Amino acid sequence: MRRIAVIGVGVTKFGLHDRTSAELFAEAAADALTDAGIPAGAVQALYYGNVVGGETEHQLHTGPQAASVLGIPSVPTTRFETACASSHAAFRHAVMEIAAGVSDVVMVGGAERVLNVSTAESTEYFAYTSDAVWEQPLGLTFPGVFAMIARAHMQKHGTTEAQMAAVAVKNHRHGALNPKAQFQKQITIEQVLKSAYVADPLKLLDCCPFSDGGAALVLASEEVARRHRKPVWVLGSAAASDWMLLGDKRDLSRVPATERAAAAAYRQAGLGPDDVDVVELHDCFTIAEIVATEGLGLFEPGAGGRAAEEGRTSLGGEIPVNPSGGLKAKGHPIGATGAAQIAEIVTQLRGEAGPRQVDGARRGLTHTLGGSAATVLVSLFGRD
Amino acid sequence: MTEPAITVRAFFERARAGQLVAIRCGSCGELAIPPKELCPKCHARAWREEPLAGNGTIASYTVIRVAPRAHAAGVPYAVAVVALKEGVSLLGRIVDIPLESLAVGMPVRFRPFVAPDQQPSIGFGPA
Repeated sequence: MRRIAVIGVGVTKFGLHDRTSAELFAEAAADALTDAGIPAGAVQALYYGNVVGGETEHQLHTGPQAASVLGIPSVPTTRFETACASSHAAFRHAVMEIAAGVSDVVMVGGAERVLNVSTAESTEYFAYTSDAVWEQPLGLTFPGVFAMIARAHMQKHGTTEAQMAAVAVKNHRHGALNPKAQFQKQITIEQVLKSAYVADPLKLLDCCPFSDGGAALVLASEEVARRHRKPVWVLGSAAASDWMLLGDKRDLSRVPATERAAAAAYRQAGLGPDDVDVVELHDCFTIAEIVATEGLGLFEPGAGGRAAEEGRTSLGGEIPVNPSGGLKAKGHPIGATGAAQIAEIVTQLRGEAGPRQVDGARRGLTHTLGGSAATVLVSLFGRD
Repeated sequence: MTEPAITVRAFFERARAGQLVAIRCGSCGELAIPPKELCPKCHARAWREEPLAGNGTIASYTVIRVAPRAHAAGVPYAVAVVALKEGVSLLGRIVDIPLESLAVGMPVRFRPFVAPDQQPSIGFGPA
């Protein structure tokens, strides 16, 4: 298979914006082209992630719309929707297009706008990623899904609300070092534990925010990437799915799709969890980070909560997780998240992450989860 | 062409009348909740209908306090994944059980649940 590299990255600030999702993508995409040092005319395809554009912006056909707003209307463009994992799924397909020899330069992007609607509306639209027949009529929410995962994890492993709070505190500490983050201020364990319940046992400060934002990547074949200053190589990229219905999942304390996608990505790369220096993973809720660190093999099943509490996943710890601040503090514009995680890993492996740099990072991993843990993508990256 | 053993529509009509129905694979014996065209275990296409007793225990639950628009008037309310004694699990709304008494492992029993402006769905009340 051809070697493929990420040669340019761009991310908007996450948070409240008075711009359309296409405008947010276009800003990130133009920044990514500048970062790559290649002209827009070199881009041969756009793979685009966007989730609730139909609901919040009355906008479908967002692929060509995004390309038009960027100013590259003639490239083939496809919009991917795998809930919160959309632009990571777009990335994997862009990798396959280059690997197949169809193109040499492909752009991956994603954007989302939700802060133009009320919390009740966005809660409803995000719940559309659960089953419309079996789950939505019951009033199931996205925090509700992860609350049940949290309850199962607490029951099986003795994980505590304080351990979950430690994830939020750590990611806010990291986010305070990221000028693009939605929340750049630190919080305390007590603040998390005293915040209001959203879906027991998850509290407001266990949850990532609703966010607007965009992200973009420029991918290139080895021939093109070799002419670039700091190519970051794609060592593996894998996807896995799982049962859609919570009732069909056999053990709510685990995310089997994470375990399957991680196994496939490690196999492609010829690496294991011990070879990874820095991780950006899907902490839509604090329990999601704990379960993901276990599913990725960073810790034994049931040990993730204690590891977070002991600081093993902090900057300066044995395996820094979410140096960007994660979804929790950096923000979670759902269509942009997968691409933004990859942008952070690329920045880390280039050694350009400033105060949040993981010293000497050579191998990085990104993990993105969609819906009720029914979609997971895992990718691995390395520098020369 | 093979007719499904039971459609989603028929499942919910029966549920509304108080009867939970599953499907059992005629080839390997796997039990599942519809709709599934193929048996996820052996990939046979040989389902037959099988009634469930409706008894089970709470596998996990949550009390939802921030709700989608259609359910906002009903907060707080609880939903739970219930492990039915036959071996399949189902998400349902908790009905007529005090929220503070909920616990993993608590025995519950199926009953229809109908929210305003929603399709009839699954509820679980006291065993």
